[in-house]
Amino acid sequence: MPKLIKNGDIIDNPHTWLENSDQAVTSNSLVAAQTWLAEQETIGEVAGIWLDAGDGIEILQGVDLTQFDVIGVYFPAFTDGRGFSYARLLKERLHYQGDIRALGNFIPDQLGYLIRVGFNSFQFNDDIDLDKALELYKPFSAAYQGDTSQPKPLFLRR
Amino acid sequence: MYQYDDIDQQLVEERVAQYRDQTRRYLNKELSEESFLPLRLQNGLYVQRHAPMLRIAIPYGMLSSTQLRTLVDISQRYDRGYGHFTTRQNLQLNWPKLEEVPDILAELAQVQMHAVQTSGNCIRNTTTDQYAGVIKDEVVDPRPYCELIRQWSTFHPEFAFLPRKFKIAVNATESADRAATQVHDIGLHIRKNEQDEIGFKIIVGGGLGRTPMVGVTIKEFMPREHLLTYLDAILRVYNQQGRRDNKYKARIKILVKALGIDEFRRRVDAEWQHLKGKESTVPLSEFDRLNRFFTEPNYETLENQPSNLTSKLADSAGFARWYQRNTFEHKKPGYRIVTLTLKKPGQAPGDATAEQMTKAADLADQYSFGELRVSHEQNLVLADVRQDALIEVWEAAKQQGFATPTLGLLTDMICCPGGDFCNLANAKSIPIADQIQDTFNDLDYLYDLGDIDLNISGCMNACGHHHVGNIGILGVDKKGEEFYQISIGGASGHDASIGKILGPSFGQEQISDIIQKLMNVYVEHRFEEERFIDTYRRIGITPFKEAAYAKAH
Repeated sequence: MPKLIKNGDIIDNPHTWLENSDQAVTSNSLVAAQTWLAEQETIGEVAGIWLDAGDGIEILQGVDLTQFDVIGVYFPAFTDGRGFSYARLLKERLHYQGDIRALGNFIPDQLGYLIRVGFNSFQFNDDIDLDKALELYKPFSAAYQGDTSQPKPLFLRR
Repeated sequence: MYQYDDIDQQLVEERVAQYRDQTRRYLNKELSEESFLPLRLQNGLYVQRHAPMLRIAIPYGMLSSTQLRTLVDISQRYDRGYGHFTTRQNLQLNWPKLEEVPDILAELAQVQMHAVQTSGNCIRNTTTDQYAGVIKDEVVDPRPYCELIRQWSTFHPEFAFLPRKFKIAVNATESADRAATQVHDIGLHIRKNEQDEIGFKIIVGGGLGRTPMVGVTIKEFMPREHLLTYLDAILRVYNQQGRRDNKYKARIKILVKALGIDEFRRRVDAEWQHLKGKESTVPLSEFDRLNRFFTEPNYETLENQPSNLTSKLADSAGFARWYQRNTFEHKKPGYRIVTLTLKKPGQAPGDATAEQMTKAADLADQYSFGELRVSHEQNLVLADVRQDALIEVWEAAKQQGFATPTLGLLTDMICCPGGDFCNLANAKSIPIADQIQDTFNDLDYLYDLGDIDLNISGCMNACGHHHVGNIGILGVDKKGEEFYQISIGGASGHDASIGKILGPSFGQEQISDIIQKLMNVYVEHRFEEERFIDTYRRIGITPFKEAAYAKAH
């Protein structure tokens, strides 16, 4: 079974990320947010949805996000940083409490930043060694800015 | 100066460890070229024409003599015994070995220095006025605010992979803008409102490169406690909405232009409503804490114009020239700000040898409380020199080639390293600077011409800020041959403007001759005391164009 890093552990991935809209949907699927919004009546229950780069979180305004176990954020390239803002806004603006999962072409060296903006699970591409990735889990023991786990910037704690 | 506490120190050391591991994995081929590239860039390492280039941050230009001595030591042991000071208050080493960079960073960390975010598509080193804290007409000292921004921007988790690089500069005086804030992604002008509260005029969307633009005002006055939340809001809009499909259209200036400032402001304000007053609002205690690092040194009570100064000014024309051009009024009686120019003929602008840097550190220890500054014009500054010591400083500076009395004049050029060093360059820039230095070597003539900014870039990336030079020179490549496009009328101060291209480009050997022609037009048309830029603004480009392209009789 494909693996995930979730909350610092390597686990079996119970979900199927549907990268394309023509793939068959099951209750374990992560469906593209745009597809789900357009076809939610017919799609039925899914494990979650995923945001493409360029979607923005605004498309999820008004949607009951508690129905999703997972919201994925797709990185078309690891240098495309839009997903960092999306994750943070999912957490801080839409108060989403479930699993926020990085999908696509992000790299293990970004884990520190990804965790700080609210991601807690990571579906790496197949060529990434997850044991090695875990070694890069937390490169810094402090941070100047507030983030999703510690909203207070360092200047309020110094 | 700011002093690291345990947390600041721990962060730079953890960054060194992280980068050491990234370098190791790259050399082991565990990390691909493609993945390593942005990671090394975010630590200031380019791979250049001949060797890697390491860009070391000198946050808002402040440098202790101890730090400068460490840079000297590093330049001698890991490089070729010199460094290049840039327009954005960084120091570049042109010949480090990629595998030794982690060791260099470890040594820098020992003296509270780093190369964090000096390159890459992230928030870069924040820059400011090299005279910060020592001039008379400053609203407040901008350095505590620069340090606040430095900490906010360092390892910001959300904004490490922006569409493109992001540069912030701070100004705190109405009389001049020595940090070229209006051609930055964000320019901040510290102001006080009618209630005497400190805040910022915020300018956004300036920049050079292929599409040069002067920034526009997004907020006339933002109280200082809201600065970081407002910056977060600007960056968050840019991070999500800036173009990523074309790197030449990815800077924030393109987004601001495309939306128009009103719509851009509306989007930023909408985002800011969610952040305003939240945790990132800066409390007074933090401003107080940062201010304590920038208190005045132990100035003595002195009189202006001590007798040894006035008599030397009367006796020595050379000294008087240097005093007039290369020193600046200090806020304290009996003190003077001294610029050590790095524009010695025959040396690339901004370059300093290990010997020169050592001497500069000695001078700082002996005459200026052990501190120096690095300027946008690529010079070094001793901010607190006693007026009765100016003669000694001048004598010492002359020996090191620091006293070329041309600050602000035609030959005080800004110049990028150009095609001699840089991969990106279309053409060489240093030989052009040399040619101009050689041709315009008559000091009386240079003084007569007065204040002129001449800026040279070896390519469209505009590291030499050619767009905002009163005269700008841009290297272009035409079928493998190097040509130079000349523009005039640019300015980088409060009156910032983008220069206009004169016409078809010129061959390398023609440059000095063309500049001479431009100067002749200026001299012919100027009113008494009128600067070159003002004459240009009054008479327009046509007379200059006609002179430059007139057929020889």
